Amino acid sequence: MRIILIGCGVVGQSFARILIHRKAELIKNYGFHPRVVAMVDRGGAAINPKGLDLEKMLSLKVEKGTVAAGREYGHLAMSALDVIESVEAEATVEATPTNIKDGEPGLSHIKTAFKTRKHVVTTNKGPLALALPALTELADYNKVHLRFSGTVGAGTPVLELAKKCLLGDRIVSIRGILNGTTNYILTEMDEKHITFQQALEKAQKLGYAETDPSMDIDGTDAACKLVIMANWIMNKKATLKDVDVQGIRNVAPQALEEAAKRGCTIKLIGSINDNLQVKPTEISRHDPLSVGGVLNAVTFVSEFAGEETIIGRGAGGMETASAILRDLLDIKHNVATTLIA
Amino acid sequence: MKKIVMKFGGTSVASGENIRHVANLIANYVGQGYRVVAVVSALGEVTDRLTEVAEQAKKGNRDYINEFKQKLLKEHLTAARKAIENKGIREEMEQILKTTIDELEKVLTGIIYVGELTPKSEDYVLSFGERLSTSIVWGALRDLELNAQFYTGGEVGIVTDSNFGEASPLMNVTKHQVRAKIEPLLEKGIVPVVTGYIAATQDEVTTTLGRGGSDYTATIIGAALAADEVWIWTDVDGLMTSDPKIVPSGKMLPELSFQEATEMTIFGAKAMHPRALEPAMEENISVRIRNVFNPENPGTLIVKEQKIKLGEAVKAITLVKDVALVNVSGAGMVGTPGTAAKVFDVLGRDNINILMISQSVSEANISFVIQRSLLERAVSTLEIGLLGRGLIREVTAEDDVCVVAVVGAGMKGTPGVASKIFTAIARKGINVRMIAQGSSELNISFVVKETDGKEAVRAIHEEFELNKI
Repeated sequence: MRIILIGCGVVGQSFARILIHRKAELIKNYGFHPRVVAMVDRGGAAINPKGLDLEKMLSLKVEKGTVAAGREYGHLAMSALDVIESVEAEATVEATPTNIKDGEPGLSHIKTAFKTRKHVVTTNKGPLALALPALTELADYNKVHLRFSGTVGAGTPVLELAKKCLLGDRIVSIRGILNGTTNYILTEMDEKHITFQQALEKAQKLGYAETDPSMDIDGTDAACKLVIMANWIMNKKATLKDVDVQGIRNVAPQALEEAAKRGCTIKLIGSINDNLQVKPTEISRHDPLSVGGVLNAVTFVSEFAGEETIIGRGAGGMETASAILRDLLDIKHNVATTLIA
Repeated sequence: MKKIVMKFGGTSVASGENIRHVANLIANYVGQGYRVVAVVSALGEVTDRLTEVAEQAKKGNRDYINEFKQKLLKEHLTAARKAIENKGIREEMEQILKTTIDELEKVLTGIIYVGELTPKSEDYVLSFGERLSTSIVWGALRDLELNAQFYTGGEVGIVTDSNFGEASPLMNVTKHQVRAKIEPLLEKGIVPVVTGYIAATQDEVTTTLGRGGSDYTATIIGAALAADEVWIWTDVDGLMTSDPKIVPSGKMLPELSFQEATEMTIFGAKAMHPRALEPAMEENISVRIRNVFNPENPGTLIVKEQKIKLGEAVKAITLVKDVALVNVSGAGMVGTPGTAAKVFDVLGRDNINILMISQSVSEANISFVIQRSLLERAVSTLEIGLLGRGLIREVTAEDDVCVVAVVGAGMKGTPGVASKIFTAIARKGINVRMIAQGSSELNISFVVKETDGKEAVRAIHEEFELNKI
């Protein structure tokens, strides 16, 4: 499969590393022969229709700051859109940073890939949170696949559990901790009895929180994931503006102490029932969702199988890259099935 | 009195002087008592330019269209002035050209307005090339005081389906109508001048014949009239034993069978498209390829069945470039019915055409040749569709190869031809990557490294002494 990789940040590079290390095994065990025919970063693009040498690309990125700096295949300043339009490939991996204002540039990348009949795997929540119903329609219309399992739970197969393992059942509602940073902060506040501000600073020091932590602590990141689950799993045509969001800035240590007295704790819970909601919620310490640190946890309530909870790390480069690989294998399987009737 | 359909290609009518020459040629044959139907292509490269201008119209490029119109008019007016001496006819012709090009401009303007180019309107645009060139030839013939009349393919009775861009004639209706239209004209001594390449649906909407083009028009008319021969006037003497650029001592072939000609053209010899040979083959009408600039040369005659001279096994050698070799292998393929079907089905679904196939009896691999530009796509599609299903283990490819095709009806049943071919190749130290021969034995094709291609052609040409025919 010929792949265009857009975005060479932590996730993009991790994905390249997985391909390098697992290539032989992927061919042998999964019949999957990935060829990255183009890579794009802020500096430009590298293109080779026969497949790029990923080791070389990674060292170019480290040494020169861009994959476009290579003499042989480099195209300085070539844009991702130009690459998607002009380079022949079966799939585009979109791994640019999330932007929840207008979803760009990821949104245009995905649309262009569809129009040029390329499957898309993305880890970018922005375009999905803003326009998932539109994107799935466009993908269907162009007879290509859109996969994004890395956007919820990173490497933890949250979407697959609901979509594949619970095949045939009907999911009635979803509740979950969808953001590792806020969960870390709330866990610290609960266990160490410190203020929100102190816990946030600690999280920033450890690299769990960004310098501008608002995406996480105001609940936006969790809301994006909720939108994705609502669309993909529960078939609700929701976007970000349909979510009632409340962050954790105003959670006081006293509230946690009060909750503790009742054998409970406060978590930032995203839930899908009749409506979509993200807000700090008191839950029992015995609730399977009561996980500590940076962990994520999601409980699916299904009509017949009852409640299932999946727990795992919800972030990380390698974790997210593993989800990209999973999605590509899924696409390969689907396409192969239609090719060989 | 011989009845001949003559087709004049793009280079034959490339300029006013050439058109004058063509007109004289026709007049000469008419003078000798031949009954001639002339079929005319567009002026050299005009069809390609019409494709481009239609594309530009779709994009709304008004300036491009104005410029194109001026240039096209000027070229045709210049050609008409040089081809026609009589003032009256010349003025009439100038008027026709202007009116026709004004009509073209209106069509293009329409395309600009709707911003859409349907295959139907594209065919209409493309039809102008032949309409313009044929008008000038018509004028030039009248200038020589011949009783000539102008017809479009549709007017003469060629009816096609509405598969625009590649329309197929409703052959029986066409034959019936063309005969009814043209026979009486020939009886009266009129020379019908017909636009090549274009025809019409039963509702008189303009279509084009696609592959085969004007040659196809000529053989359709030839078949309808049961003509004695169809002459394809071009700028070479005829079909050659090999490309003279590769083998300078290559010779012209005086005679070929339809089957041989088909084999050669499929393998890229500069000649007729196999589709254009079909109507002639069906009615057993010989086709002659002749040089308009060297009419003394009788050219190459393509006939139904040709007597094979003893020892004349190989007729011609062609080289097919810009191809790639794909090899699909895996132990799972051995003894598994349907493997080849799956491989070719996957490629077929992705619109990839296969030029040549070979599988050894061990069944552990299938090799095939495709167009080089499709290589990456083909490999990727095969891997997605077939890897990891226990059937194939690996898809490999080589893009630095070419195909050498050795053609000749005399190879059938002649032992030792293959041995001679490959001995000659081996003597030059050339390695053969893949071989294919159908059981028709008309053709042996093999794959060698691109750098060895010309050398291989020369070695075989020499081995079979084709320079001495």
